[in-house]
Amino acid sequence: MFKSFFDVSIITGAVLGAGCVVLSYLGNPVNSGICLSCFLENLAGAMQLHSHVRMSYLRPELIGFVLGSFAMATATRRFQVTGGSSPIIRFFLGFFMIVGCAVFIGCPIKMIHRLAAGDLTACAALLGLMLGVWLGARYIKAGVALDRVRKLPKINGYIFPLFALNLLLFLFMKPAFIVFGQTGPAALHAPVPISLAVSFVIGCLAQRSGLCITGGFRNLFLVREGTLFKGVLAAFLGALVLSLVLGQFHLGLNGQPASHTSHLWTFLAMMLVGLASVIIDGCPFRQVIKAGQGDVDSAVTCFGMLTGAALVIGWSIRSTSAGPTFYGKIAVLAGLMACVVLVMYYRRSPAAVR
Amino acid sequence: MANHMENEGVDWFFRVNTAVLIVLVAVTAGMIVQHELELKADSSHGSPGINTLQKRYEEQLAKKAWLYKDVLYLEKKGDFDQAVSKVLKILKDHPDDAYGLVLLGRLYSQQGQIVKSVRSYRRAVELDPDYVDKTTPLYIGDEIMKLISSARGKLNREKKLKPEDKQIQTAINDIYYLQRRIAGGCE
Repeated sequence: MFKSFFDVSIITGAVLGAGCVVLSYLGNPVNSGICLSCFLENLAGAMQLHSHVRMSYLRPELIGFVLGSFAMATATRRFQVTGGSSPIIRFFLGFFMIVGCAVFIGCPIKMIHRLAAGDLTACAALLGLMLGVWLGARYIKAGVALDRVRKLPKINGYIFPLFALNLLLFLFMKPAFIVFGQTGPAALHAPVPISLAVSFVIGCLAQRSGLCITGGFRNLFLVREGTLFKGVLAAFLGALVLSLVLGQFHLGLNGQPASHTSHLWTFLAMMLVGLASVIIDGCPFRQVIKAGQGDVDSAVTCFGMLTGAALVIGWSIRSTSAGPTFYGKIAVLAGLMACVVLVMYYRRSPAAVR
Repeated sequence: MANHMENEGVDWFFRVNTAVLIVLVAVTAGMIVQHELELKADSSHGSPGINTLQKRYEEQLAKKAWLYKDVLYLEKKGDFDQAVSKVLKILKDHPDDAYGLVLLGRLYSQQGQIVKSVRSYRRAVELDPDYVDKTTPLYIGDEIMKLISSARGKLNREKKLKPEDKQIQTAINDIYYLQRRIAGGCE
């Protein structure tokens, strides 16, 4: 009982949930204390990959996650450089995961934060994500798996942490080509040292525990194993308790920040995120953590997510408070189609599975 | 012997490349430091600062106040009908002018035309989200929330009486949209 209480995934979940609320309380956008898709959209804007200045800011949290994961993996000798498994497929699934997140307006972590803050529109997202993960688990059971991972020379694993380190330099040096928006969500941010510290700790813990929102559901559906799921529950409870304590809990369906009431599209979008996450083994947050610990495939996925983050804004394949755009809806359907084609192609013969 | 030569070759290869790397790092670092020092001397680089942005907003507001000076005068006098027709006339030439739509929303609200008022505010916010952004001097979230809190009950009552009325449903949706935008978030 005592050991289970201090399980590292539960601690990671609790810190992650609490971190979401604290960062939001200290200045990050409402209900968006930690959101990988929003942060990547901000990063893409800061790098001038899109021109929406209100969404352009170099979020320190992204840097903290990668460096935290890298530090923990190196310190515990878990920095293992692997890759070579269907890189272009992972790139495009990373892209589609961000499309799904943009149509819902948030990644799975933000979904938990929104639920914990009383935003009932996120219920459809939860159901969609669960169905997507369940489908993914069924596909895995049926023998779907991407190409085999292999060991790579160490230098490959250092590239993504170095990219994060470079962003850290940009954050402090503020070169002219990096855009820091002064209005809108870009202007809303917690103090940089606090963001960096919180995300570094979360990055360390997440590397140690392997916490993944979709992974928690996947393990539960696939092998009835609940360690990661306990972490997901802890994230929700951590965020809920702090939301109540800090007066950030507003129960309701209407008038919730950065939300819309097109529940069907929320459902489908998060179904896409859930399904894609299971195929490439990890939600957007987990991909960032894995990229920090030497997983080159995840680094490729992260660059796919960054491309997605730029294009969802540039091409308006996303949702606003008015609901999803036409192109957003089409992109979600295209993502689901891509997933179905992939699982059909990558299904090994039943004999091989046995 | 061959192995020894190979090792010697590797050593030579490594030494030269390490030296090249050190030179490259030193030159790059030196250039960055020099550039940073130059920029420090000239503070006008990079993203516009808060003061520049504030100035831009002030200029923008002054320009709009000039364009709509007659409307503002009529509003002050309480002649809302005339003011509305004047705004509509200006908006014909500047259909995407969020400031004009905000004025229109305010005038409709004073006339008691809630549905039209809410629609105008929504269009204004869609065109220029700065009107619901607390970090800008354009912020009118409190003004809109005041209208919303008085309009919500009335519209819900009307919806019960006329459930098929699409205009009322649209106005309710507009209210929810405005509420979501004022609530903030990452959008």
